[in-house]
Amino acid sequence: MDRNWWSRLVLVVSVALGCMWFLVPTYYSFFKLDRADRNNVKKLEAILPGWAPPAKFRLSLGLDLQGGIHLVMRVDTDTALNKRSERRGSQIANYVKDKKLGEVTLTTNPELREVTLVAKDPGTMDAIEKDVLATFEDFTKVKRDGASLTLQLVDTQISNFKQEAVEQAMLVIRKRIDKWGVSEVDVRKLGSDSIQISLPGAQDPEQAKDLIGTTAQLEFRMVDDQSTFVSDHYKAEPPSPESGITLGSYAGYPVLEGPDRDALLAYVKGKEPEGKQVLLECVEQEGKKEKCKSYRTYLVERTVPLTGESLVDAYASRSQQSDDPEVNVTFDAQGAREFGDLTEKNVGHRMAIVLDDLVHSAPNIIEKIPNGNCRITLGRSVGKTRDQRMEEALTLALVLKAGALPAPVTVGEVRRVEASLGDDLIRRGALAALVGLGLVVLFMALYYRVSGMVADVALVLNAALILAGLSLFSATLTLPGIAGFVLTLGIAVDANVLINERVREELASGKSARTAVDQGYDRAFWTIFDAHVTTFIAGGVLFFTGTGPVRGFATSLVIGIVASLFTSIVVTRLITTWLVHGRNSESVSV
Amino acid sequence: MQIIKNKTNIDFIGKRRIALLLSSLLNLGVLVGIAIFGFNLGVDFAGGTLVEVKFKEPVSADAVREAGDKGGLHDLTVQRIGADADASFLLRMGGTTQLTADAATKAEGVVKGLGETKFVQKPDLDNGLLNFRMAAPLAPAEDDKAARAKAKAAIEAVGVGVKDVVRVGEAQGGGIDYQVQFAGMELKISSVLRQNLPGKDFEVRRVDYVGPQVGKQLRNKGIMALLWASLFILIYVAFRFEFKFGPGALMAMLHDLVMVAGYFLVSRREFNLTSIAVLLTVLGYSINDTIVIYDRIREEMARFKGKPLPEIINIAVNDTLSRTILTSGVTALSLVGLLIFGVGEIFDFAAAMLIGIIVGTYSSVYIASPLTIWLDERAAAQQSGGNNNKLKAKTA
Repeated sequence: MDRNWWSRLVLVVSVALGCMWFLVPTYYSFFKLDRADRNNVKKLEAILPGWAPPAKFRLSLGLDLQGGIHLVMRVDTDTALNKRSERRGSQIANYVKDKKLGEVTLTTNPELREVTLVAKDPGTMDAIEKDVLATFEDFTKVKRDGASLTLQLVDTQISNFKQEAVEQAMLVIRKRIDKWGVSEVDVRKLGSDSIQISLPGAQDPEQAKDLIGTTAQLEFRMVDDQSTFVSDHYKAEPPSPESGITLGSYAGYPVLEGPDRDALLAYVKGKEPEGKQVLLECVEQEGKKEKCKSYRTYLVERTVPLTGESLVDAYASRSQQSDDPEVNVTFDAQGAREFGDLTEKNVGHRMAIVLDDLVHSAPNIIEKIPNGNCRITLGRSVGKTRDQRMEEALTLALVLKAGALPAPVTVGEVRRVEASLGDDLIRRGALAALVGLGLVVLFMALYYRVSGMVADVALVLNAALILAGLSLFSATLTLPGIAGFVLTLGIAVDANVLINERVREELASGKSARTAVDQGYDRAFWTIFDAHVTTFIAGGVLFFTGTGPVRGFATSLVIGIVASLFTSIVVTRLITTWLVHGRNSESVSV
Repeated sequence: MQIIKNKTNIDFIGKRRIALLLSSLLNLGVLVGIAIFGFNLGVDFAGGTLVEVKFKEPVSADAVREAGDKGGLHDLTVQRIGADADASFLLRMGGTTQLTADAATKAEGVVKGLGETKFVQKPDLDNGLLNFRMAAPLAPAEDDKAARAKAKAAIEAVGVGVKDVVRVGEAQGGGIDYQVQFAGMELKISSVLRQNLPGKDFEVRRVDYVGPQVGKQLRNKGIMALLWASLFILIYVAFRFEFKFGPGALMAMLHDLVMVAGYFLVSRREFNLTSIAVLLTVLGYSINDTIVIYDRIREEMARFKGKPLPEIINIAVNDTLSRTILTSGVTALSLVGLLIFGVGEIFDFAAAMLIGIIVGTYSSVYIASPLTIWLDERAAAQQSGGNNNKLKAKTA
């Protein structure tokens, strides 16, 4: 045995051990945890031994195998866009009126996203055209015909707007799922106008669809600043220390803070003063779009004076005077009247902006706002840079619009598998795979005798390597993934058949056992390599272009190809070399 | 143990013209068949709703079909899966929401009765949406929620399930826009079955519900993936071997895909995402098999320089014959378990794979190699032609 052989032995043994090590979290999640807790990372971490890899390196089952719901929501951006072009049209008409450029009548064609202005006095149209085109950069001129000017929404604006509509919908969905308290939910954008949501495990599908599919509720409610309810209740009935609820103050008012939404609401439930209600605001978020870590209370009026349906537009900008970020809000005619009354009665008080029962912010009313146009200025609060405040302003505008102008969201795709069916599939699939694998192992051992058994060892190691590889990438195993797995096992067997046939050929031409083995492996190497690389290319392309099931297949295939190259060439050669060279054998059993 | 004791010397390549002709005809037949009859597309691609139900006691497929018909589900297809005792059925309906053309007319009537409508838009059957504009709000702001709930109930009273009636906002030039969002088809299916099969309890085990756009997206992505994979393989084969090997490998791969598609065409088994997985697997297997034969050809070419390519290919195919039979046999062996224990999609997967293995083995010899020979001959002819031109140029 030369040194090369020993270093290869070390490599193979350490790969085998490493692969077993990586399978520990997967083993624990399947055999030590209850079925219901299989996706619970925290529970898994609790029972994992200290030396094991982190819980995230585990193989989880796809929705088709473990049960769950896969939803694709389609955001109806066309309807939203048509409404938008109509609204912009009336803004243009108002602008012309406010700047006293002339008298115009407005007609809109929402389907074509066109706005037509007709001037009473044709002489004013040139000035109007010039001013409007310079101010409303999201429109281009389609045609000008004497006193009539037709404008159309610019294409780039359309794609921007569509993107915004999808982001709004995602924001609402994320906030709701967070409220629902499900951790393992994956929300992502799919294509240009769809959102994909995966809810694993046994969830109630109707609840999920209702939760995600309904329109966002935006409300404006008055905050009760006089009440000492919060501090009184805290003194009268101190919360249990485990709940983590503390009494603090925010903007000069007493508030309760705590990490657990439900605990905080339960603590004050039924104790609020007559006609008042406690709502929560998220204080601290884990990452930008992650779960909320800490909440703060607001005591608000139960009556809802104004809802998002009266809101026409909201956008973020910088104040012309102070350069502070601000959010500009416009209400429709009826909303403007109600908003005027509300602000008149409540000067000096705070008004909470509530989206889906969660307070987003509570600006102070400085004066009566009569015309339905208001500005929410994000003041210089401590410890925040201007960029951070601008970011906040953008989010607030998004929240307002998400509640006010929701693009209708419809369900584009639902795949729901009951957990029991998933179990059935796993049982049948595992049985079928084991029978197939058993037959192959038996055949190899019978046909190639010792060399066949060597190939069998490699095959089993190959299977373990694929599973470990999938765990390492925190992949999900789906039905097509199993298909990829079976294919790579087939390819791995093929590699060993190639090698053994070559060795037989060399033996038949009268070579000694040692030369035959060495040459057989050398000759077969490039064949196996080329075959593996081409299959790898196909798998790689599928991985990058495919989604969902195709990607699951490609992941198994790509990992399997690398594993197969290693086991069929390095591992079997190691063992065969030992059998022939190490024991100084004169014959080889093939 | 050995399958083939002595070296064989079968003339595979001699019959290449007949084989190529037959294969081309078969392929053409499948392609024409796809164009005329199309696949039995599953909901993944066609869009629609698929519900798997399992009854607690035995029920016949006819009884289920009748129950659906009675409840107005006339195009419901019912397919039993597994043994009779399992009483499991796959139920399929076109359409994803309850807004069918028929339901739309009814709903429109109800909407028009709600008050003065400015217009009712053409119903969006794909997404289950109906937009309409009222001259005045259904109710003042504080009663809006209740008024919309009433509108929803009114539409549901004519037998069409509604998820929600949404206020989209004020319209420019007066009026208020509303949108009716219709409920999913699966609710209709289960409620009809419950109504018309009294006493037969069942559970819904699976629901697949795919809108038509999503189906289109899935299909386009699949085709793009196939094209890119083909291109890269062509480049690799041209780089590792010679260019003339590339097209053969590609055609063999396409041949195998078409043949397996032929299985789905002829058997009328459902073509869905699992079928795509089968096609991908066959693609991988086909390339693998072709490359192994190519490799041997390359080796023999180096050994017998000057020998005509057809002879070399014959030697290579004969030399690798036992390997080819073994590999195909062993892979087929691993499918035995799936064929015995698999039901529904798993069985389809195994059956189609088996066909893929057979055609994949065949195509390496009879599609990939003859094409390489043909390209080789053409290149030779062109080269001599090119020389002639050169000579002419010199003499001129």
